[in-house]
Amino acid sequence: MLVVAAAAMVFPFLWQLLTALKTVAESRAVPPVFFPSDLTVDAFARFFDSVPVVGMVGVSAAALVIRVGGQLLICSLAAYGFARMTFPGRNVLFGLFLIMLMAPSQLFLIAQFDLMKSLGLLDTIPAIALPGIFSAFGTFLLRQAFMSVPKEFEEAARLDGANAFQIFWRVMLPMVGPTLAALTVLTALYSWNDLLWPLIITSSKENMTLPVGLATLQGQYGTDYPTLMAGSLLASLPLIAVFIALQRQFFAGIASSGLKG
Amino acid sequence: MSAVTSRRGATRRPALLRISNALTGLAFVAPALVGLLALYIVPLISTFVTSFTKTGPFGGSTFVGADNYLSLFLDAEFWTALRNSLIFTAIVLLGVPIAIVLAALINSVKRFRTTYRVLFFLPVVTLPVAVGMVWRYIYNGDFGVINQALAAFGIDGPSWVADPDVAIYAVAIVGIWSSLGTNIIILGAGIQAISQDLFEASSLDGAGSIRQFFAITLPLLSPSVFLVSVLSVISSLQMFDLIYVMIGRGSPAEQGSQTVVYLFFQKAFVEYDRGYGAAIAIVLLVIIMAVTALQFRLQRKWVFYG
Amino acid sequence: MRRWLAITTVSVAAAALLTACSAGGSDNNAESGEKVTLTYGVWSQEDTMQQVVDAFEKENPNIDVQLQVNPFTDYWTKLQVSAQGGTAPDAFWMLGDRFQLYAANNQLLPLDDAISDAGVDLGVYPKALVDLFTYDGAHYGLPKDFDTIGLWYNKSLFDAAGVAYPTADWTWADVQAAAPKLTDPANGTFGIAAPLNRQEGYYNTIAQAGGHVIEDGMSGYSDPKTQAGLQYWVDFQKNGSSPNLQQLADTEAVAQFENGKVAMYYGGSFYAQRFYDNPDLRSKIDVTVLPAGETRATVINGIQNVGFANSKHPEELKKFLLFLGGKEAAEIQAATGAVIPAYENTQQAWVDSMPEFNLQAFLDEVPDGVLYPVSANTAVWNEYEDDLLTPAWDGSVSVEQAADDLATKMDEALAKE
Repeated sequence: MLVVAAAAMVFPFLWQLLTALKTVAESRAVPPVFFPSDLTVDAFARFFDSVPVVGMVGVSAAALVIRVGGQLLICSLAAYGFARMTFPGRNVLFGLFLIMLMAPSQLFLIAQFDLMKSLGLLDTIPAIALPGIFSAFGTFLLRQAFMSVPKEFEEAARLDGANAFQIFWRVMLPMVGPTLAALTVLTALYSWNDLLWPLIITSSKENMTLPVGLATLQGQYGTDYPTLMAGSLLASLPLIAVFIALQRQFFAGIASSGLKG
Repeated sequence: MSAVTSRRGATRRPALLRISNALTGLAFVAPALVGLLALYIVPLISTFVTSFTKTGPFGGSTFVGADNYLSLFLDAEFWTALRNSLIFTAIVLLGVPIAIVLAALINSVKRFRTTYRVLFFLPVVTLPVAVGMVWRYIYNGDFGVINQALAAFGIDGPSWVADPDVAIYAVAIVGIWSSLGTNIIILGAGIQAISQDLFEASSLDGAGSIRQFFAITLPLLSPSVFLVSVLSVISSLQMFDLIYVMIGRGSPAEQGSQTVVYLFFQKAFVEYDRGYGAAIAIVLLVIIMAVTALQFRLQRKWVFYG
Repeated sequence: MRRWLAITTVSVAAAALLTACSAGGSDNNAESGEKVTLTYGVWSQEDTMQQVVDAFEKENPNIDVQLQVNPFTDYWTKLQVSAQGGTAPDAFWMLGDRFQLYAANNQLLPLDDAISDAGVDLGVYPKALVDLFTYDGAHYGLPKDFDTIGLWYNKSLFDAAGVAYPTADWTWADVQAAAPKLTDPANGTFGIAAPLNRQEGYYNTIAQAGGHVIEDGMSGYSDPKTQAGLQYWVDFQKNGSSPNLQQLADTEAVAQFENGKVAMYYGGSFYAQRFYDNPDLRSKIDVTVLPAGETRATVINGIQNVGFANSKHPEELKKFLLFLGGKEAAEIQAATGAVIPAYENTQQAWVDSMPEFNLQAFLDEVPDGVLYPVSANTAVWNEYEDDLLTPAWDGSVSVEQAADDLATKMDEALAKE
């Protein structure tokens, strides 16, 4: 069963690879050609020729680092506050977070654009990352993780004289390491693949992210599918690498964290 | 001073402590709260205000009371869109049990575990354009893989994404497929958090793996399952991309398959009717809030916090 | 008030986080002698447009033009968001169906003064194009390029069916006679593609039948002549000489034609280069003018270069827009074969760039060009056309009934504009 399901998962990826190796005419063939008649890597060359790949990777990576770093910090603080602290209005405030999660992102386009403009951030890398830092999703995910950590750990640390921040930083954060790793993967993914917001907020070529560059490749008339697939294939490789690196963390991290005992 | 306070305030201490605790709690959530306010809550309030106006495409507006809401409730297109969003969500929710089983299976295999994880992750990293292309090929009525297979049994399959009667279901299947990866990541992290001792102890008691799944994995995984369900419902009700890349403008299935967010995008950014678009968005938000609140209420019955 | 609330909240929040990374202030000082930067938003033809920009910068060393390319699917969303925020590109591409919305809402820079000061003769452009981009008698830009629709045909399929190739003398009757003969269900080939398509489809035949889509702010869909233009396509659907709408949604008409699945295809001049670049296809196909109905007609459409009303450098912008509409810019574009430039007598280079095709047909049709139908908010009734004409195409409703319903709804929408 696992094998069958996995095959269904891998099919689109395989299709991307095969399309990337076709000629443009063959990629439009009806009925579709599955295996290219003669393999060509022209599409990869065209991809590198037509967009500034290195610059785009740099912009995408910078935005990703700001967004992931900012989100992990800000959301884990908030999540811990919501999970373990009592303060007036806690439920109302957490409700606000949930509402933000529930509103479709397209709703915020115009207002967030105006905000970035008044902050003088139009067409900058921080503007690409900023809205994603304040993530209701991340807060929610980490709150669930903090809530399932037994209370004894905090009490032990409190008896040792640690203050709230120390407890959070030294005791609780390591406990939710696997969730942090999972959130890193998911946020990295959203950040890396996000199209509409970066496209709207940036305008110069120097601040073009990978998906924006790929979308730009789709001309007005007709589409060069092999180049598009070659590009998107290359674009997803770094993400897969991040995933492989971090999956060990979040799938295996628990065993050593002491939660077991 | 602190000595004085502590001696004199022996009776007041709990109150002070409570205040100091409250301040600490607020301090933890403050940074997130400020960003939330500026980037989301304020825009949301302004959307709410906009929904009571007739707005020019580039700003400038006149107050029209509840007109937008009244025409929305009389708009057959909106009800179709709402029905589609609900169908889509119901089907995608069926993907949650599949993700639980797959996450547990992946966790139980000894070999190629990383390989499986990467494979299930692949749909999530694939660009929407590529997802649309591949699935349109699979679903093609004339020579798609599915209909070729059906033809072997003498069945003449429909044009899956062009036939208004089936398109929304076909797209929802892709919805399950593309959400599996994320769900498996969250659930997989949850399964790993379950203590191995429990499994070992129950093995000694002679419990088989299926019994363990129902007796240990499922109850202890329930917070993660709850999380995944809530997130799936929210993101499914917000579905836009898949309809856009798989059905698209001008298809005979477009009218019958559009979702609420698709309709919102059409009104606000294609037809430039921002007031009406805002009303759609607000109604959708209220619906999502109601469904989520219901889920939170129901969680008390089945979610188990350790 | 709301804006202030937003600004205050965020500045408190974000000051610490963001001061370090705020934008390097852009210098918008347009004092004499200082270099001025203009932005120019487009959605394709990047290399060609860069050549045009380079030529302009050479003549105007104090003006620097930055080309901004955005994907077509998101181009309009981005333009709307940035225009309402006051930061649209100085110059940008515009299409007929969106033009009136931007002009009516004062988003575009009026060009009449600049046109008369520079003595530009608007007669060098096809009249339908100039009219398409005129609002309340004022001109807001100069045509960049245009496209017309032709009858593309697959010679191999005609040969196989023993039907003579279409000629410039063909009428509707010839197409109607040939289409069933060219249809071969066993092979999965069809005589013609009859999609529900505005620019390449029914807008042409409506005009050929003597009907109209919109006139004086009223819908023309209740006119029997307009309905005859729709019936033309529905008949091909009915007698099975075209793939049905679902098949055309699964595999779009142009792809069906490219792959030899349909013998005749009403297609735009903009596909010439794509077809030409396909070596298998090039020798098999050719093109001729659209067959005549009651009269000869083709939709003529194109891109216009317009300026943003709130540009900080209106004088430099006007200079740039006039250059974009001028002969030199047209010749650069013609040479690359990407588009048919709108400026008269610069089109031959485009025809010559693909000698195997009878591209002259697209130019011969220009005098018969009809205005692409638009109103202040075209997108609203375009949506009605898709929704209400689909049941006519699939045969579940008569053309007459569908078109009458469409006329009613369209008039309601037009009344609200």
